[in-house]
Amino acid sequence: MITIEGLTFQYKNSNRNAVEDVHLSIRGGDFLGIIGESGAGKTTLIRAINGIIPHHLPGDYYGSVQIDGEDTFDVTPSAISLKVGTVFQDIDSQMIASVVEDEILFGLENYSIPRDEIEARLSGALDAVGISQLRYRNISHLSGGQKQKVAIAAIIALRPKILLLDEPTSELDPQSSLAIFRLLKELNEKHGLTIIVVEQKIMLLSEFVKELAVMKGGRLLLHGSVRNVLKNTEQIGKSGINCPRVATLSNRLTELGVKLDGVCVTLDEACSMARRLMYD
Amino acid sequence: MINVENVSFTYQQECTLKGITFHIDRGEFVALIGSNGAGKSTLSKLLNGLLKPASGTVTINGMDTRKTKSSTLARHIGFLFQNPDRQICKNTVADEIRFGLELVINDKALVQQRLDSTLQRFGFNPDSNPFQLSRGERQRLALASIIAAEPEILILDEPTTGLDYSECTQIMNTINELNSKGVTVVMVCHDMEVVLDYARRILVLSDGRLLADGSTKEIFRAEEVLHKASILPPQIPQLALRLGQGFENAFTVEEMAHSLVARTRPQFFEVKEDAI
Amino acid sequence: MKGFLDYALGDTFFHHLNPLIKLLISLLISIAAFISGSHLFIAALIALNLVMAARAGIFQRGVMLLAGLLKFSAFIFILQLLLVRRGNPLLHLPLNLVITDAGLSSAFLIVLRLIAGTMPLAIMLSITQMSDLSNVLVLKCKVPYKYAFALTTAIRFIPIFAGEMAGIIEAQTSRGVEMDTKNLFKKVGLILPLCVPLLITSVKKIEDSAISAEIRGFHLRTGQSCYKRYMVTAGDMAVLAFSAMLIALACIF
Repeated sequence: MITIEGLTFQYKNSNRNAVEDVHLSIRGGDFLGIIGESGAGKTTLIRAINGIIPHHLPGDYYGSVQIDGEDTFDVTPSAISLKVGTVFQDIDSQMIASVVEDEILFGLENYSIPRDEIEARLSGALDAVGISQLRYRNISHLSGGQKQKVAIAAIIALRPKILLLDEPTSELDPQSSLAIFRLLKELNEKHGLTIIVVEQKIMLLSEFVKELAVMKGGRLLLHGSVRNVLKNTEQIGKSGINCPRVATLSNRLTELGVKLDGVCVTLDEACSMARRLMYD
Repeated sequence: MINVENVSFTYQQECTLKGITFHIDRGEFVALIGSNGAGKSTLSKLLNGLLKPASGTVTINGMDTRKTKSSTLARHIGFLFQNPDRQICKNTVADEIRFGLELVINDKALVQQRLDSTLQRFGFNPDSNPFQLSRGERQRLALASIIAAEPEILILDEPTTGLDYSECTQIMNTINELNSKGVTVVMVCHDMEVVLDYARRILVLSDGRLLADGSTKEIFRAEEVLHKASILPPQIPQLALRLGQGFENAFTVEEMAHSLVARTRPQFFEVKEDAI
Repeated sequence: MKGFLDYALGDTFFHHLNPLIKLLISLLISIAAFISGSHLFIAALIALNLVMAARAGIFQRGVMLLAGLLKFSAFIFILQLLLVRRGNPLLHLPLNLVITDAGLSSAFLIVLRLIAGTMPLAIMLSITQMSDLSNVLVLKCKVPYKYAFALTTAIRFIPIFAGEMAGIIEAQTSRGVEMDTKNLFKKVGLILPLCVPLLITSVKKIEDSAISAEIRGFHLRTGQSCYKRYMVTAGDMAVLAFSAMLIALACIF
């Protein structure tokens, strides 16, 4: 569905490549998490998928990003947005309206969605995100987590096949962050949305996403199922990110000579692993 | 050092803190935890006089915050916010640190000396433009310009939010080093792993009340308190709680690994037990 | 002044007025305040503003607004008081300054006008959604959407910047900048350099906002895109007629 081949990009006025020779293919229905230290090229990769690069931010561009066989280089950003929706990190500045309903209407109106379809899309999006009760509320009075859900609903209303999120929880507390990831999982499983999320919180990623990509210095360092990626303790350590502690624990147990089936990525797994080691 | 006596605070007709009392000694490392809206940020701002209590008293080194100017308190207390961009207002790294120093130190020679040692300690290029640094570097600069003045107390309001893991570790290690030299640290923090790794005492806030006050280990084993304050403990202590008896002292990966190895049945070892 | 211009949700008569009519009546009331030379009439206009605020469910904000404007006007009041030398002297001050009855009267008049002229727009904007305002500007006034959007975005960002500024002042106070000084000139001197961090944050926020609008098809929008319809109702006509009457009264008094 998304095929990235040899993508290299250098921003104007910069002297190093923000992403370098990235090859990545993402199938429809995937739930991919991207992690890496700051400056690793995560945001640039997201921008290359939604067409902000090269259409809004100029620079040296090599390689290609194809969505359903169409090269983003040749398609206008507004055409890309119908397939790829993006939610940003800064919660307040991505809002354009003062009331939830209007925030969601904005995109629908811009794309001239037929009048008789608008109401269904509007209430459908609110419902899918679980914020129907917030429809007439003032956005500035909502909590950060609620605002981020409004941003997601505004994108979902446009019915994209792919949802990109750039550090959607960086301004949120643990409970709201968890709620956002639960929602993403539901959107992925129930609605079949392909989701790509850049995130610093490794524990959320390991709990919820299907695939994990680790970036460093503009390059894609590791990519695969969460379990396979988290096995590489050493490489992960070098890339400046942390493993969930339960993964570190199971890797440490293996070092100590304990036979395990594989690395634990969630607390639940660690718990059943420990019980199996100790009891029948 | 820090004395909070029966403090209440009201903001826009809403009572955000009710009857809070605690005492913090010199050299402690205290974390303030609680869910959003529990009153953590409000409490941290009461500690440096940004906010004044509606009733009760906050005293810092014997000074009542209601009777002392914020600028005077700033000589004793450094406050690091979540967003460094609200603090940084000069065009070079050196100017930024000097500006902070001159606010609290009158002696020019001393300002220069502190500036030089801070630049060296953090390895900053004095002429670089703060606004071209990365988010993590800007947070380090904000921290540097605060600790250059050598405050006795350091208050941190979510210092690691929005930072990646290595930036977070860098900031926290600097703070930890200061603490080991006797600086009192009070930190509002959402990241329970950071709290576990660095804080030695935890104050739990819930609905504007002080729900619990204890050592980090006590609090992360107090299931009922954590549940009431809707706090998810860090992974390893949470695993220890679930596994029950025998894991009371497992807080780190290493402690948990050894507690587990000691209880693992022999058939799960690759080699003979004596190799461990 | 916290919450100033932040949209106040509500279901009142005033909320349901056509956004354009809201702008128009606030303009008319302001004009009335400037035409009239009567202290009493302008004071009545201020009272009317408070009544409108109360009917719109934002009385408290109206009072806060009034208090804020009073503080702001104090400076102008004193200036006017000391500069006007016509009329009968009431009080002689050092430095050859004199307060006259005409000075007192004109100082009062200026302050009243300033307040009565500012309040209506602030109140009406508080109960108007910016998206409605831009929609109606596009639909009824044929303003190109880009300009209407720019205008409403600017207004929408005011409370965000105000919040940011409050945060910056907190951060600076914490490091020892004497923001709690009683000396107004010193305070202004301290606040000015803080515009640097505000500017940096603002530029970034505006860029993010532009990209966010762009990826939701902003530039595809046409004059007909708007989903909501904006009617001019009998209520709209009534308040408009009432405001016109105020102008007429202002000419008489």
